[in-house]
Amino acid sequence: MNLFRNIKGRNSWVFFGLLLLTVFSITTAITFGPAKITSLDILQCVVSECATPMHDMVIWQIRVPRVLVGLVAGMGLACAGAILQNVTRNPLADPYLFGIISGAGLGATIATLVLSEEQMLALPLAAFLGALFSVIIVFGIATLLRNMNHLLLTGVAVSFMLGSISHFILYLGDPFATNRVIFWLMGSLTRVEMFHFYLISAMVVITLITIFALHRQIDALLLGDESAASLGVNVDKLRIILLALCAAVTATIVAYCGGIGFVGLMIPHIVRQLVGVTTMPLIVGSALVGGCFLVWVDVLARSALSTVEIPIGIITSAIGSIFFLAIMYRTRKTG
Amino acid sequence: MSNLLTLDAVSWTIEKQAILSNISFNVAQGDILGIIGPNGAGKTSLLKCLLNQTKNWQGGIKLKNKSISHYKPHELAQTFALVVQKSPPIFELKVYDVVRMGLLPYKALFARDTDIDKKEIMLALEKVGLATSENKFFNTLSGGEQQRVLIAKALVQKAKILVLDEPTNHLDIFYQHQILQLVKALNITVIMTIHDLNLAAQYCTRLVLLNKGRLVSDNTVDKALNPETLSKVFGLPCFRDNVQQHSDSTVAETPRVHFYPNSNTDSPLPSGKSS
Repeated sequence: MNLFRNIKGRNSWVFFGLLLLTVFSITTAITFGPAKITSLDILQCVVSECATPMHDMVIWQIRVPRVLVGLVAGMGLACAGAILQNVTRNPLADPYLFGIISGAGLGATIATLVLSEEQMLALPLAAFLGALFSVIIVFGIATLLRNMNHLLLTGVAVSFMLGSISHFILYLGDPFATNRVIFWLMGSLTRVEMFHFYLISAMVVITLITIFALHRQIDALLLGDESAASLGVNVDKLRIILLALCAAVTATIVAYCGGIGFVGLMIPHIVRQLVGVTTMPLIVGSALVGGCFLVWVDVLARSALSTVEIPIGIITSAIGSIFFLAIMYRTRKTG
Repeated sequence: MSNLLTLDAVSWTIEKQAILSNISFNVAQGDILGIIGPNGAGKTSLLKCLLNQTKNWQGGIKLKNKSISHYKPHELAQTFALVVQKSPPIFELKVYDVVRMGLLPYKALFARDTDIDKKEIMLALEKVGLATSENKFFNTLSGGEQQRVLIAKALVQKAKILVLDEPTNHLDIFYQHQILQLVKALNITVIMTIHDLNLAAQYCTRLVLLNKGRLVSDNTVDKALNPETLSKVFGLPCFRDNVQQHSDSTVAETPRVHFYPNSNTDSPLPSGKSS
């Protein structure tokens, strides 16, 4: 693999292949689901009018939003993971280690208990605020400790703290509300709409533009803070900007899709093997692979069992935990 | 020669503990300045102040008669290039990627590499003798090769002053000389902290001796390697002799110092040794 990586211009072919895979994934994933829809039906809907109103509704109101949200959510999570790993120089860093998921969970829990059934549309907003609250606490503690390297460890501690508060509230609360929150925390693309696609896309685009602007500074961090500072990088400021960006994009995704863990951990590891470790190829590769991955995981989630849909977070966590162990095994072997 | 850099009463105190006290000296264009002293003398701390990487120091550091605090970070990066490698990178960086980092102080946001940049990177690698190694992984190189890659990065950075923090640490004798010969051959101003006094004597034009955060001496190599002073600073009896150093057509005498852990006798030499 490493030998292959040295071939000049290879990355262009990899990106071309990934782009084709992305187009293929989007168009094919729409055909999967309980209602039988073929590629020809989709083509007909795109070029003229759908054959039946049912096709029109299923394709444009259910499957297209779902596939597109899956794509951008996967892109966002994978990019956030890649940046977080490079910025902290920690290959096991994951956006969820900021306590984002438990913060979102706490926000959702409180919203479920406080808001009425009609006001439940505000649940994603509450989850977003919870996630942001968690990130602010993590940043605050890391700043107090005067050590940004402790950020991830602080994230783990805050995650447990907020998780325990959520569990306590749920334990005392209404069982229906508990069910709703737990299902939401497992992650799902069932209820997504085109509006969510626009919102998450906007966050992903902002993230990508910022990363493209700062790619040299991020690369400089790979050789250590001291070396980066000697190249004119304001290390602390750069780290805060990037961590805040990762937190914002992840919180937006969690707010609408629930807890989809391990995408941010796994995808950058795979992409590094394909295109190298520097920021530009890593981010573009992570966005494409992450997007395709989540699209196909969602296909699996809605078609693996005929009677019920599997929450997407269960599948990503199952794959991710095995991947996590594999990384540790590999590190042990090479270390 | 004109002074490129002037340090005027530089002090640094952390939690009431003086790390550096009242350090003053000048660095002239073309100097190869060695900062020597025992562990904890403040050598690396002084480099941090020079590079403006800490905010709490007092005193004045002027670069071309202008305070370094008035320079923007990228302007300082165009003047100082730091060669330091405390721990290996976690991820598999290629040699090319490391050297490419030297372009950073000259690049705007979003800027991509030009063909000229690529040629510059390859030229720098050629200068340090690693012309065909651009696709190798940095972590797989020997310590000496890694130092050469970092020097190539400094060349791409087009810095006027090369700053090296313990460049010969963990290197065998061959690589120690190879790196210092390379640094000398670059013909630019160099400031380096170095533990090995005899290597410092061989390659530096001036030596600054620090002890407990204070400046003990700032002198030519010959005067700086005073056995009495070194004996006090390092806490060991010190003896000095000279060795003849042959270069292309000249023969020069270089001072050499020896320390012996025998402080109970009047003689600085252990029994059986003679000068």
